[in-house]
Order: sequence, then C-alpha cells, then structure tokens
Amino acid sequence: MTASGQKPGSTAYMAGAAGSGLPRFEAIVVGGGPSGLAAAYTMADAGMRVAVIERGDWSGSKNMMGGMIFTYPTATVIPDFWKEAPLERHITRRDFWICTKDATIRGSYETEDFGVEPCNAYSVFRSRFDKWLAGQAKAKGAYLITETLVEDLIQENGRVTGVRTGRPDGDLRADVVILAEGVNTFLTEKAGLGPGMKSEYLALGVKEILSLPKEKIEDRFNLEGDQGVAIEAAGETTAGLPGTGFIYTNRSTISIGVGVMLKDMVDRVTEPYFLLERFKEQPQVRRLISGTSPLEYSAHLIPEGGLHNMPRLCANGALVVGDAAGMVNAVHTEGANLALLSGKMAADTVIRCRGLGDYSARALSHYCDLLDQSLIMRDLKKYQDVAPFLARHPQLFRLYPEVMSTALKELLTVDMLSKSDKHRLIAKLVHSEIPVRRLARDIYDIWRTLA
Amino acid sequence: MNDRKNDAWPPPAFDVTGKLGLVKFNPDGSSHLRIIDPEVCRKVCHQKFCTHSCPAQVYRWEPDEALITISFEGCLECGTCRSGGCPYANIEMRYPRGGFGVQYRFG
Repeated sequence: MTASGQKPGSTAYMAGAAGSGLPRFEAIVVGGGPSGLAAAYTMADAGMRVAVIERGDWSGSKNMMGGMIFTYPTATVIPDFWKEAPLERHITRRDFWICTKDATIRGSYETEDFGVEPCNAYSVFRSRFDKWLAGQAKAKGAYLITETLVEDLIQENGRVTGVRTGRPDGDLRADVVILAEGVNTFLTEKAGLGPGMKSEYLALGVKEILSLPKEKIEDRFNLEGDQGVAIEAAGETTAGLPGTGFIYTNRSTISIGVGVMLKDMVDRVTEPYFLLERFKEQPQVRRLISGTSPLEYSAHLIPEGGLHNMPRLCANGALVVGDAAGMVNAVHTEGANLALLSGKMAADTVIRCRGLGDYSARALSHYCDLLDQSLIMRDLKKYQDVAPFLARHPQLFRLYPEVMSTALKELLTVDMLSKSDKHRLIAKLVHSEIPVRRLARDIYDIWRTLA
Repeated sequence: MNDRKNDAWPPPAFDVTGKLGLVKFNPDGSSHLRIIDPEVCRKVCHQKFCTHSCPAQVYRWEPDEALITISFEGCLECGTCRSGGCPYANIEMRYPRGGFGVQYRFG
C-alpha cells in the first residue's frame, strides 16, 4: 500500500492530483459495463472528450451474467463486432425445461438460420467481452480510468457537475455525467433520482463456470463445431421459488446457474448456492455436467422491476442507463442488449445537447423520448405486470409442473386402462389439484400478462 | 414477516469456502461492509437472514459472542445485503476502493 492509498503497481494514471495532466472532459461515464461503454464509444466516435471511470482493474472484472449476447442490438453500437470480439459459441438452439422432482418436460427450438453469420446470439464471458468493448471505446478516443471508484457526485446549484472519486484530489468535472453504475444504484440514489432497487423486484443470480473438453460438450449437448445451446429451466429447479435455472454452453466450459427472486428467497430462508447445488444434482443436469471441474463462482443481482422500479432517468447534467435504469426484460432474459441500446441513446442525446449547448434535465429528456419510441420501453410496458403476476401466482412454479407431469405420465404409461378411461382419470387428477374456475382464471391471467 | 419462525438459528446447509477458493480476490485492508446496529442481530433477527442470503457467506453468526462476523475479503459485491438480504436494513454496504475486491476472470 502506498501513501496515496493506491495499490502497489497500480497502472492508474490519475497519479497525484486528478486535475493535472488530464484533459477537461465533456462527458464522464461512471461504470465500464455494456451500457457505459456503449455510451462512451458513441460519444467518442462523435469526437467528444469522454472519460469512463471503472472501479475494477479492467472493464468487466466486476461483471457477471448468464449469459448470451444478442447480435443485432450489439451491432447497432459496434458494427461487425462478431468478427473480432471474444465470443464463445453461437446459440443455435434454445431449450426450455419444466421440472418436477422426478420428471422433465422439454420444449426446444433449433434452426440452421441461427448458425448463419451474423448469428442471432452468442454465449460470452462478461469479463472478457467488456474488456474488449472497452478497447473499442478507447480506440475511438475514450479515456479509460480503471481501478477508480466514484464515491459521490458533485452537485452544484441543482445540477450534477462532476464526480468525486476515491483518489487523492480525485474530483473530475464535466458537462454531463452518465450513470452506468449497475444494479447497486449508489449514485443514482445520491442524485435523488430514486430510492434504489427493491428486493421484491430483484433477482439474485449465482453461477458456476465448469470446464469440460470441447468434444464432450458437443457430444452431450448434441452440437457440432461452434454451435451452442441455451437452456432455461423452471419449476423444481428453484425449489418452487419464482425463478429459473440456466445452462449455457461455451467453447470448452459450461455456464450453469440459478436466478431467484430475492425477497422470496429471503422469506424462505433459503441459500442461493444451495439452490445451485440442488439444480446441479437433478438427474437431467447431473448427466450433462458429470466429470466437469469448477473454474469460477459468481453472484450478481438483476433488476427485474422494469417500470415498477425505475428511477427518474434525467437530471440536470446527468442521465441513467443500463441496469441502474432497470432496463431488463426478465421474460426474455434480455438485459445486456437493452443496456447497450440505452447507452447509445443516452450518447445520442448528449451529442444533440452538445450542439444545443444545453445539458439541463429538460434538454436531456430527449433520452426519455428516444427510449419511449424504442423497443426498450415498449417491451418493458408490455411485460410490466409479469413481476406482480408471478408474486400473486406462486403455484406456477410448483403445482403446475407437478400436475402437467402427472397428466403426461398417466397418458404415456401403457397399462390395461382404455384411452377414454385414461383421459377421464387425467381430467379428474387435474381438477382435484386445480379447480376449473381457477385454471381458467390463471390461463386468462397468463394470456393477459404475456400476450 | 409473520410467517418466519422465531426458533434457534439454523446454520446454512452448505459451505461455500470451496466455491470462493475458485474466485480471485484482491482484498482491501479494511471492511467495506458494516453491521449498523449489532443489537438488531442479537435481539430482533432470530433467523440471522444475512447468513443465508449472502451468496458468499460473508456473514456468520457466532453464538458464543452473540454477533455477526464479516469476512469482507470474500465478498462478491452483488449487493444482496443492502437490498433485502437483511430484511431489517441493518447492513451498510459500500463498494471496496477502486482496484480492490472481486476480480472475475469469466464473469
């Protein structure tokens, strides 16, 4: 530890006084994740003097997701990214499992089209992808300041005028600050833009990276070459808690994890890693991962409240993007793409405001207009009732899988009952568990919430 | 929170030490996590919720000393403890200083 409180060998270049040797920035981006880097890349590309402040040793070193990225939205920020970016496998198959204690119902969609470049989606590691993305922003002229925590915003006369970092003399000023700080919204709260993410709208994801030779992955998951699969599993997977399990194939590793609603998990006094271990022990999962060795364990929160838990996104001199802005579509497991798009829209807004010479909340609210017109707000509006719906219908994750499994088991068991008798028996079984009126109401609710 | 049992503290069912051994950390010299009022842990919180909700088992209840210990060195910085992982909002979480804390190689 040096006298200045920096790590020995720190490469940070805010040595000494932050003001000295640094250009005056027009824009400061807090957080070097997908949303912040998309914003920085776009602004730097337009010739703006931009700094990205990242608390990790490199962009991505604090980041975690499932996960896969979707090509089309990513390419709207970084054209042709797939030719160079560190990608694992292109996802040609999406599997959906509904699990009970002793059975699995599977749905699967696979198409050759998802294997044609540019492919629809790729599995990635956030830590490697974001590092690459930061390099792209840097190549456009953005200034990367790593190993630096922004501890507070500088606010003067009702506007954000800069950031206070943890470094000695670490104040940095700019015309506008983009808050891309992620799900833990310390600064957004300090700016008075919202109360922070609430536990009933947060999911906790825990994940492991398991190593397995490439050939074994291809054999076990029925893949060839760089093809990949994304599996989502609901039901007993999460011990009946609202949430899902997931498996993504990477080149020579498997990403496996569970995501559960935080409040339900806390109320049930269940441990997240216990749910992960439980998922790994289910027979259909055990067979896929047997003989693997774990390489990394990680945890991250996901803001799934959408419009219910979104802070105000514009202040005088500041905009909020990505996870900090609650931009996650939980139903379609989309977050990084919304983060990238929101970062780009914030940047486009800032570029416009720079032309006007006006960074007031009113001028910056152009960002909200862009969001409203985009698929982001339209999707978030469409699915805004899902989280409250799931909270009202806990039976979806345990009772319904059980009933479906019982019905299918009866139907597929060949014994001495006639098919008519079997159908009657199944109807009776279903009705004994779920009264007709409730079934009808649930189906109607599901349709109304999702359709 | 009415349905929560007020019986003796049940320890977590699984030890994550092995999992944390896979993760690269660069721990700072002092903790970025703090119990705001230890009396709440002692007298109000019978379940010791943080010892279950934290994915890194940073928080452990020491029955003999009647307090929660904090192994901040193994914190994954997810934010669970500040966002409902402690239903009594009795944990203050900050991020570690720049360059310190968890370092994901995959993420």
